[in-house]
Amino acid sequence: MQAAGEETTAKVQVDDLSVYYGKVAAVKHASLKVHENCVTALIGPSGCGKTTFIRALNRMHDLTPGARVEGRVVLDGIDIYAPNVNPVLLRHKIGMVFQRPNPFPKSIFDNVAYGPRIHGTRNGASLEALVERSLRRAALWNEVKDRLDRSALDLSGGQQQRLCIARVLAVEPEIILMDEPASALDPIATSKIEDLINDLKREYTVIIVTHSMQQAARMSDYTAFFLLGDLVESGPTRDMFTRPSDKRTEDYITGRFG
Amino acid sequence: MRRLGARTGSKIVDQIFVAVLLGAAIVFLAIILGLAASLVKGSLPSLRTFGFAFLWTSSWNPVTSIFGALPLIYGTVISSLIATVLAGVFGIFAAVFLSDFAPAFLARPLSFMIELLAAVPSVVFGLWGLFVLAPAMRNTIDPALQRTLGFLPIFSGPSYGVGLLTAGVILALMIIPTVTAISRDVLTTIPADQREASMSLGATKWETMMKVVVPAARAGIFGAIILALGRALGETIATTMVIGNRPEIAVSLFAPSYTLASVIANEFTEATSDIYLSALIELGLLLLIVSVVVNALARILMWSVFRGARSAR
Amino acid sequence: MLKRAVFTALALLIAGCSSGSGGTTLTGAGSSFDYPFFSKAFDTYSSQHPDVTVNYQSIGSGGGIQQFIQKTIDFGASDVPMNGDELTRAGQPVIQMPVALGGVVLSYNVNGVPSGLRLDGDAIAGIYLGRIKSWNDPRLKALNPGVNLPNTAIVVVHRSEASGTSYIFTDYLSSVSTEWKTKVGKGKAVSWPASGSVGGKGNEGVAGLIRATPGAIGYVELAYALENNMATAAIKNSSGAWVACSPNTVQAAAASKPNVTNTDFSIVDRPGARSYPISGYSWVMVYTKPADPKRGRMIQNVLQWLDGNQAQQIAASLHYVALPVNVQASAQRALQSMNL
Repeated sequence: MQAAGEETTAKVQVDDLSVYYGKVAAVKHASLKVHENCVTALIGPSGCGKTTFIRALNRMHDLTPGARVEGRVVLDGIDIYAPNVNPVLLRHKIGMVFQRPNPFPKSIFDNVAYGPRIHGTRNGASLEALVERSLRRAALWNEVKDRLDRSALDLSGGQQQRLCIARVLAVEPEIILMDEPASALDPIATSKIEDLINDLKREYTVIIVTHSMQQAARMSDYTAFFLLGDLVESGPTRDMFTRPSDKRTEDYITGRFG
Repeated sequence: MRRLGARTGSKIVDQIFVAVLLGAAIVFLAIILGLAASLVKGSLPSLRTFGFAFLWTSSWNPVTSIFGALPLIYGTVISSLIATVLAGVFGIFAAVFLSDFAPAFLARPLSFMIELLAAVPSVVFGLWGLFVLAPAMRNTIDPALQRTLGFLPIFSGPSYGVGLLTAGVILALMIIPTVTAISRDVLTTIPADQREASMSLGATKWETMMKVVVPAARAGIFGAIILALGRALGETIATTMVIGNRPEIAVSLFAPSYTLASVIANEFTEATSDIYLSALIELGLLLLIVSVVVNALARILMWSVFRGARSAR
Repeated sequence: MLKRAVFTALALLIAGCSSGSGGTTLTGAGSSFDYPFFSKAFDTYSSQHPDVTVNYQSIGSGGGIQQFIQKTIDFGASDVPMNGDELTRAGQPVIQMPVALGGVVLSYNVNGVPSGLRLDGDAIAGIYLGRIKSWNDPRLKALNPGVNLPNTAIVVVHRSEASGTSYIFTDYLSSVSTEWKTKVGKGKAVSWPASGSVGGKGNEGVAGLIRATPGAIGYVELAYALENNMATAAIKNSSGAWVACSPNTVQAAAASKPNVTNTDFSIVDRPGARSYPISGYSWVMVYTKPADPKRGRMIQNVLQWLDGNQAQQIAASLHYVALPVNVQASAQRALQSMNL
């Protein structure tokens, strides 16, 4: 595990972020620093705002009628909610993996090639190389290399989720958001995903939502704890799990609720 | 024991249920077969007199009692194909707009109005076609097509206002509600996570719809188009009013044509001789066969185009 | 408002039931050409004879003949009398009498000629055969001196559905043109030879096509043309007179042939200074010896009244042409021969 220190630079700086669904605030005045090439875990009980928070980072709330975002999310010095930012271009830089594997009902190859094709890579050797590289990076290549033209829906749940990761990698993002990527998977598939995430952080900044504290402890460099829409506490994972500064964090970590 | 008894009872209920379902299925099958059988029986005099020549001869002459159905088959198939292509394109676009682009305050009244269009009686479409569309086709649309695409034989020759193309357009208007309403319902059933996956990969909303959502819904959309095609093939009154009712095969889509259903409706009440009546019944049989064949061809087309990739979950 | 409409409908329904239940209901079916006339005439008849109601179904002449042969109705109505084959199938002697008279007019849409077009038999046949293709054809110019006929293609319009109107019109064309007679013939539906001719459904369909298509010519019933103030062509008859279509000129043509029979019933192309050449009768059929004599007498009474002055005036008020007196008289004689 990489040493988590102050010397790493902030890839994303979230300031005073609030997200409302209609009049209800799902995230209230959250501020967080996300370090480059680290894994940041967002933990907390169900319905605490983790998912809402992470979806604010690639402006997915733009698609939800009635959702409203306040505050600032600064990526590489640019506020992503500034009026001149194109969310479509933003999402090239920030990939997202969802809770339930959601491959397209297309072939395995077409799933991975989807993003590159949209961004202008036509069919050909370079696309094939990119697909292979992405599948290798997602540790799926060996399992699917002989059946790239088969439907992605024929894969198992764990394979589908790794395919979704490969699909994100093919766009060559800088940040990968993961919303409980292993919650729908069995333990073996989960451990494969975790290994993969550990591997990915060398090149990417990863933000992962999880409700499993063990998972957060195993994988992350930094942890942020959410409760009822408040970002209660954040910091290096080791510190959070050994000497939390907030009573509520301690109660959650020691299993008193959640 | 009592509990076991109850389970047996429910098994009997299940069996009765299956029997009822089977019965219903058999009744439907029997109705269709009975219909086909009575059409064949009614067509026998005509079948004996004209044989297969009925299918490829072009004379439809009640005075001399010489009947051939080729121009009618042609008119039926081509007018329906024009309608299906137009309604397919516009209907799918309308459905995409309604399901994903229109704000709620617009989507609801628009959907309502499109569905209302399906309730308009076909004679009203026919009258509108005759008095509004036909002059517009002759004065504006047909000349424009001739100017731009006149090198194609299908857009050549004089325009009467009424004709194959006008009939196709009227039919398209009539079946667009079917295509739109069903396609919209299918599109809304495609899970949000498909859209989110695409958007999160940096696709625009338009790319998401055209490359992910519509392809995922294609089986349902295709079903909607098949359903609409069925209506177009059998539509009678509106077609009759704008197609020109001329049993002739012309290359130009501007030319008048005639359909199987229209001939039956136009001439059935006054057909007194046996052979005439029988020829008209044979047209009914042909309409049934044409519907089945066109449906089958459409399905084969669908299958060959989309072979390999699976459909939506 | 709606409530009131429902109430009125209910009241009418109840009234209808009560008038029906008190007496006898006679049924007839067939020609749709006769329907407006019959519905008004039979309504008047019932108000004068409360014990009799006549129910007429406008199902088309062919259907009327079929039902009449199957004896499911008391009388049939057809735009063309039953032919020998149909009479054989009926199996019993049948009386056929003319009941309504109508003319067929030629209407047109020619730029610069709002009215006053003149045509003769050769020209009409030439147009419908597709030989005369343009409005400035020399043959048309010769018939219309001083009229500036444009160089517009002629669009020939005909009825798309089988109809008595088409029968009368093709009967006329067969009389004036041997080419038409041999090539096309006469019938309620024929194979129209002119290339690019188009069919409209019903009088309104033909009229709509004429109105919407510059250069169009088509034929419609006189009653329809009168009600819609359509421009109609004057036609040169076999006596060489120019005759416009009107109830009077149609009646004049019919009066010139008082003794029509079910084999000799055509009144097209009649001579006479005032005879309009394109017209024809609609017919009613009854069995000479109905199964139920009491019912038969009622039918006889109704039909005697229908071919009498009062009913024929109703017909005239609806833009049909009243039967000439001599035709009424011969129809009355035929009805007397019913064996009751």
